[in-house]
Amino acid sequence: MGALLELSNIDKSFHENRVLKSVNISFMAGEVHAIVGENGAGKSTLMKIIGGIYRRDTGELKLEGTPVNVDSPIDAMNHGISLVHQELSLADNRTVAQNIFCNREPTNRLGFIKWSELYRMAQDLFDDMAVDIHPKSLAGSLNVARQQLVEIAKALSLNARIIIMDEPTSSLSEQEVDSLYGIVERLRDRGVTVVFISHKLTEVFRVADRITVLRDGELIGTLPTADTSSSEIIRMMVGRNIEDLYPPKTKEVGDALMDVKDLGFRNQFSDISFTVKRGEILGLAGLVGAQRSESMLALFGAAPKTSGTVEVHGKPITIKSPRDAIAAGICYLTEDRRSKGLFQTMTVSWNIVVTSLKKILATGSFYQGRKRQDAVSRLMESLDINPRRPENWVQNLSGGNQQKVLLGKWLFAEPEILIVDEPTRGVDVGAKSQIHLALRELVTTGIGVVVISSEQPEIVGLCDRVLVFKEGRITAELSGDEVTQEEIVKYATV
Amino acid sequence: MASRDNKSAVSQSSISDSPLMRILRSRETSLGIVIVAVIVVLSILRPAAFLSLANFEAIGNGMLYDLLMAAGLTIVLILWGIDLSVGSVLALSSVTTALMLRAGVPIPIAIVMGILTALACGAVNGYLIARFRIAPFIVTLSMMAIARGLATVFTSGYYLSGLPDSFNALGRLRFAAIPVPIIVVAVVLIVLDVLLRKWKPLHQMYFVGANPDAAHLSGLKTQRVIMSGYMISSALAGVAAVLMTSRLSMGFAGFGLQAELRAIAAAVLGGASFAGGSGSILGAVLGVTLLAFINNGFVLLDGSPNWQQAVSGLILLVAVGVDAFRRRKERRS
Amino acid sequence: MKKLFYSIYNRLGFHSTALLGVLIGLSIIMRFRSPYFLTWFNFEILFMGFILEAIMAIGMTLVIISGGIDLSVSSVLPFSAILTGLLITAGVPVALAVGITLLAALSVGMINATLKIVLDVHPFIATLAMMLTVRGLAVAMSGGQSISGFPAEFAFLGQGYIFGIPVPILIFIILAVGLGTLLRHHKFFQQIYFIGYDSKAARVSGINVTLMNYFVFGLSSLLAGLAGIIAASQYGTAHNSFAIGAELKVIAAVVIGGTNIVRGGEGNMFGTVLGVLFMAIVFNAFAMSGIDTYWQEIVNGIMLLVAIFMVEAARKRQNRLALG
Repeated sequence: MGALLELSNIDKSFHENRVLKSVNISFMAGEVHAIVGENGAGKSTLMKIIGGIYRRDTGELKLEGTPVNVDSPIDAMNHGISLVHQELSLADNRTVAQNIFCNREPTNRLGFIKWSELYRMAQDLFDDMAVDIHPKSLAGSLNVARQQLVEIAKALSLNARIIIMDEPTSSLSEQEVDSLYGIVERLRDRGVTVVFISHKLTEVFRVADRITVLRDGELIGTLPTADTSSSEIIRMMVGRNIEDLYPPKTKEVGDALMDVKDLGFRNQFSDISFTVKRGEILGLAGLVGAQRSESMLALFGAAPKTSGTVEVHGKPITIKSPRDAIAAGICYLTEDRRSKGLFQTMTVSWNIVVTSLKKILATGSFYQGRKRQDAVSRLMESLDINPRRPENWVQNLSGGNQQKVLLGKWLFAEPEILIVDEPTRGVDVGAKSQIHLALRELVTTGIGVVVISSEQPEIVGLCDRVLVFKEGRITAELSGDEVTQEEIVKYATV
Repeated sequence: MASRDNKSAVSQSSISDSPLMRILRSRETSLGIVIVAVIVVLSILRPAAFLSLANFEAIGNGMLYDLLMAAGLTIVLILWGIDLSVGSVLALSSVTTALMLRAGVPIPIAIVMGILTALACGAVNGYLIARFRIAPFIVTLSMMAIARGLATVFTSGYYLSGLPDSFNALGRLRFAAIPVPIIVVAVVLIVLDVLLRKWKPLHQMYFVGANPDAAHLSGLKTQRVIMSGYMISSALAGVAAVLMTSRLSMGFAGFGLQAELRAIAAAVLGGASFAGGSGSILGAVLGVTLLAFINNGFVLLDGSPNWQQAVSGLILLVAVGVDAFRRRKERRS
Repeated sequence: MKKLFYSIYNRLGFHSTALLGVLIGLSIIMRFRSPYFLTWFNFEILFMGFILEAIMAIGMTLVIISGGIDLSVSSVLPFSAILTGLLITAGVPVALAVGITLLAALSVGMINATLKIVLDVHPFIATLAMMLTVRGLAVAMSGGQSISGFPAEFAFLGQGYIFGIPVPILIFIILAVGLGTLLRHHKFFQQIYFIGYDSKAARVSGINVTLMNYFVFGLSSLLAGLAGIIAASQYGTAHNSFAIGAELKVIAAVVIGGTNIVRGGEGNMFGTVLGVLFMAIVFNAFAMSGIDTYWQEIVNGIMLLVAIFMVEAARKRQNRLALG
């Protein structure tokens, strides 16, 4: 089988920064090809060059042996290459069919859209993919997983021979991931090449035929999945051995810090009762949509609740807003770093101090510059935020460093109970273990940490005790040796 | 992901963030340079007329109201909002003050009532925007119609003159040879500038404007901050109204027509952005100053008065275009 | 009756149905207050009172759906009125004068679009600057004077009748129906929704975003130019003070009609027609009921707020449906 698409000596620089260095890679017809690497390795840049969003500086693209130029997404489409974006971009209040055939609607000679034909064409596509989506529904009424399927349908409608997916499963539940990979396999059987970027190695090993590892813009290697192992891949990604991915767990757990009883909101979630103890990391496991974030947001005062009491140090407290929660020592690190976590157009320094501005005040609510500088440089040091420039804009930082700023911002508030929601989403392996280590060090100082994570290895590796959520209820509490992926899956799904 | 990180790596290396460089690269500096250039050109071309105390006083007096309103607009723009109602609020506030004075209410009370009326308009704006999350454009557009309408209803469209002499004299009072209104405005602006940079209750607006959700989750009282922003904007229009009513010795429902547009133009020129989270009082002052100097120069250089508006519009157009061009270049590098 | 209601509701959606209900209610109330309200004659007066804004609202709808805003229309109107007036009084044939004026108006839109697309200036600021400049041009061109003394044939455009319908109203109907249909069913016009929702994604789908922006801003200016010509013809004179503040009334009518000004990609022409009718009726209701007309602006302001509350309610409803 010859290569369908071959890239040789691809170079790409943004100004002085060389992002891709002489990358050679080939994609076979009808293979599932995973691209892995830490953040900043150049994965997305490579995909965007194939998809026509960026132009390569040097190098050659060959499609079935013929050199081609892919200078725009439209060029790419014409060559049968489709990119399914990380951030989905369907127009909410247009129908699914219109979104799929945007700008390619069947029309009569005067340019008027033939609606019935349009909807029939969309229905045919969905029938073909064996998914149940109504072509007339508004795109905004579908959940993320289904919107992604619409994007794939769009790619298929373009007769794509190569479909590129940028972290397709980052916001899907496990069932949705299953059905997505079912579709990926069907596409492969039909001879379509699927290239996908993922941070989740378990998934990569499940569906990919071959795996390519990028590091610092260089191609480290392409290996058939059957001939490699995840430890080998990780070694290739980080360029070193990570002997122990997770810090050792706590042996001793202190007394109760926070008691939550009977937290509930309408029929969304109910009977959420648990205790957080000093010095432990408590994990909340479950499928996406099990209402873990929603119930914790309700606890934090940022989402509605209809029942529930909270006691900190045995004293009942009333939480009506995040402000109340923070005052009681409860902090919540959001999963949505970009839109709910950080102030992108402000400096690292201001981002860190915002949670407790009173700490940097002198008399009369005026700021004292010295206090801010001291506090910020201390936190940047201990969390290893790079570059160490407090006056740098947060939006200029890499994902991993942004996540550390987010953590730093909550550490500045000196919480007693820190709830972290997907603390390592979209973060590279190196920063990930730094964050895990920071959380572990944190509990040794006597606070309690609650971790919400959809990555089961993270829950199992990091947490001392785990609550399993299913459809808005706690179905199990696991501790010690019971904390295994099998147990979690059992209680999260059955 | 990777691409974003890579781009950021570049900007990190190219941004020199020493304090001096930051000041040199700031919007305020470049605006200041342009203003100095205008001053130099005018001093060379019209040394006698331009460089006179009387001329500068005239420029200063002409700018007063716009300065206050541009400062207010800067604050709501920082909050990721907009306030189209300031011109109408000025009119309503002027009419209120004048009606009170004509009814024999003591001067200080009439002034306070005028400003309170403005404050009330701002509170309504802020409440609707902060509590119900309605688009600021629409809320303040409605307030613009309502406040102007009320001012017209109260006066049936007539001028309200015949105000007490002692009130009219306020606007012409001098302290150490400087007109009192200029002193009032200068004090208000300086205080506002310092507070916005150094005082937590006002400085928080940058957080709320840059990312309201994150600000709420960080424990800031976002609704209260937003409300206070609109109240400050309106109150500044109220102060402008009192000054204007006193200087012109009358209340009038037609005061401040399209003042909001000039204020927005000056604030944006001064570095406030429609994306929220940026802007400064100093920038707004420089923006208003530039527009005022250009108008002044136009008059001094014997430009036809008929062309004045076209030329100042054109200059705004050029300024906005140049600024956009510069920003685009910055983004690319 | 119930069936009829639901068939209307399903076709129009929450917002337009509600607005239609308010309009019918208002008309009935007015009918009781004055037997002349529901007469063709009164409708003609009522509509002619708002016709210039109505024509501009058509273009504004497309601009707002595309994610922009156009404040310059209220200056393009007097600019065009004066330019046509000057050309005609200088002896240029009427048709040619109208053609030249429309081209000049179009060029304003081209500049707006260039500022937005090429220089990436926020459309609010770009069109605000153009608004000041173009109004200034109108002042300069006319020397602040009124321009009048137009030939009789020019008056037809603003004062004439075809089939018993005033020409401006006829123009509005043709434009609204024509552009409304195109917006709903034509491939090219449907792209406006996509660029309004997310212009980057639209670009990736192969939509020529630059061209679309030139098109919508050009159309908006062109229609404002047309309104200016009609104004000159209707009043028999042209002055630079025409249509001061009209841009906000136009935007209000479009927003009352349910077009989303916060985020593009949402709205339709039928809603705008209802919004225009609404503003015209309120305007007229004051004139007829003898209430101090100064109150009208206050009611307009309040109505705008009510409308936006309705839009919000509709959106929340839709969100709930999407979740459930």
